[in-house]
Amino acid sequence: MAAKPGSAPVTYSPNLGQKTRPPIFKDNDLDWVRPDGRGFHQCRPAFFRTGAVNSASGSAYAELGSTKVIVSVFGPRESKKAMMYSDTGRLNCNFSYTTFATPVRGQGSDHKEFSSMLHKALEGAIMLETFPKTTVDVFALVLESGGSDLPVVISCASLALADAGIMMYDLVAAVSVSCLGKNLVIDPVLEEESYQDGSLMLTCMPSRNEVTQLTFTGEWSTPDINEAMQLCLDACSKLGKVMRTCLKEAASASQE
Amino acid sequence: MEEADEMVTPGEVLGRATDLKAGKGAYAASHNNTIYASLTGFRRIQAPPPASHDKRPTVEVTGHKAHGPVPEPGSVVIARVTKVMARTASADIMCVGPKSVREKFTGIIRQQDVRATEIDKVDMHLSFRPGDIVRAVVLSLGDARAYYLSTAKNELGVVSAESSAGATMVPISWTEMQCPLTGQIELRKVAKVVN
Repeated sequence: MAAKPGSAPVTYSPNLGQKTRPPIFKDNDLDWVRPDGRGFHQCRPAFFRTGAVNSASGSAYAELGSTKVIVSVFGPRESKKAMMYSDTGRLNCNFSYTTFATPVRGQGSDHKEFSSMLHKALEGAIMLETFPKTTVDVFALVLESGGSDLPVVISCASLALADAGIMMYDLVAAVSVSCLGKNLVIDPVLEEESYQDGSLMLTCMPSRNEVTQLTFTGEWSTPDINEAMQLCLDACSKLGKVMRTCLKEAASASQE
Repeated sequence: MEEADEMVTPGEVLGRATDLKAGKGAYAASHNNTIYASLTGFRRIQAPPPASHDKRPTVEVTGHKAHGPVPEPGSVVIARVTKVMARTASADIMCVGPKSVREKFTGIIRQQDVRATEIDKVDMHLSFRPGDIVRAVVLSLGDARAYYLSTAKNELGVVSAESSAGATMVPISWTEMQCPLTGQIELRKVAKVVN
C-alpha cells in the first residue's frame, strides 16, 4: 500500500520540556549515526490508513519505516460460552507475526506477552459499558517487523477501534525509546533494539494527557527516565495528531 | 438551532461541561469538567427542549459509522427459533429494533416468559417450532450463554411460521395458525401484528 501523493507520511520529533540538557555530542563529532540516518530524537514517518480489511467491523494499516502492521477489529459479538457472565463488555486481543515478518523465516506465532500488553494499553481507553456482555476482538498482525512493533500495533489498534465505531475516551498513541549507552534514541529500528541497554514504552491518550501503560526494560538512571518519558509524551501527542488526520481523511472520504 | 458541522475524532474536546451537555457520541469527564468526543463524526449542537430546566444545549457526534447493534434489556428483537425443549426455546437474534445485527446473538425464551396468563400450563412445543420468526423483548442480559427473551405481551410472539407443507401460515387466533395449502391448523403463541 503506497502513500498517495496528497497524504505523504510526515516525520515529527518531540520537544523536550524547558529542561534540555546540553547535547552530549556535538552533531559533527558523533561517532555513530542511526542505521536509517535519522536524528536521535526524530521519529520515523508515520503512515496510517483505516479500512484495510473488508470483512472486519473496523481495521487499520500502519507503516513506520519498515514496520508494517495490520489490525482488524471484530464485534461487538457474543462472548464465548466458556466465559463467565459479565455486565460490561470485554476486550480480547491477539498479537501475531506472519511467517515472513522477521529476517529469520520461521513460524508465524502468537505472542502471548504482547497480546496482554496490547490488551492493557487499550482497555483503559475503551468504554466497555457501552456493549454489555459482548466481546470486541482485536487481531494484530505484524507483516514486517522493523522495530518498535508493539507501539506501532497499539497506535494502529486504537485507529481500528475508532474505525469500528467502538466508543472510546480517547485515541491511544504509543512510542518507545531505547537507551544506547548514554544516548536516548526514539522509535528504535530492529537493529537498534537488538543492541539496546534498555527500553521504555509509553502509551497515552494524547488529548487527555493520561498514560495508559508504561513499560521499562533494562538499566535506567532517573534523569534518563525523566527525559525519555518527556520525549515519549511529546512524541505521542504528535503521533496522535497524525492519527486524527488519518481518521478525518477517511471519514470525509466516505462522506463523498 | 444547529451549528456548522466540524469533524471530530475520539478524544477531541467539544466544550466545557458548564456550557454544554454531552449527547450521543460524547462524554463528560468529571475531573476537569470537559466534554470529549468518543466517536468519529460531526460535532452538532442541539438546543435544549423548551420545557426542561437545564438550559444547556446538547452536543453530540453524528454521521459516524457506529458499531453493530447489541441487545440490551428492554429492546424489541426479531429472532429465529432454533431449538424447542420442554422448558425453554432457543432463538438466534437477527434484529435489534429496526437494525439487523452483524454478529449472531443467542436468546432463550423460558416457559414462564411465553405468555402473560396461565404461565404454568404453557407447552413449549405448542408455542414455537424451530424456524419460526418471533418478535420478543429482551428481559435481561441473562446468563453467560444467552439473553433472556419474553413474548408475554399481545404484540409479541410468532410473526411468521412455515407449516409442515412448506407454506407460510396465516394467523387465525392468538394461539392458532392455519396452512393455506392444506387447511391444517398448528398451535403457536401468535403475535398480534399492529400496522
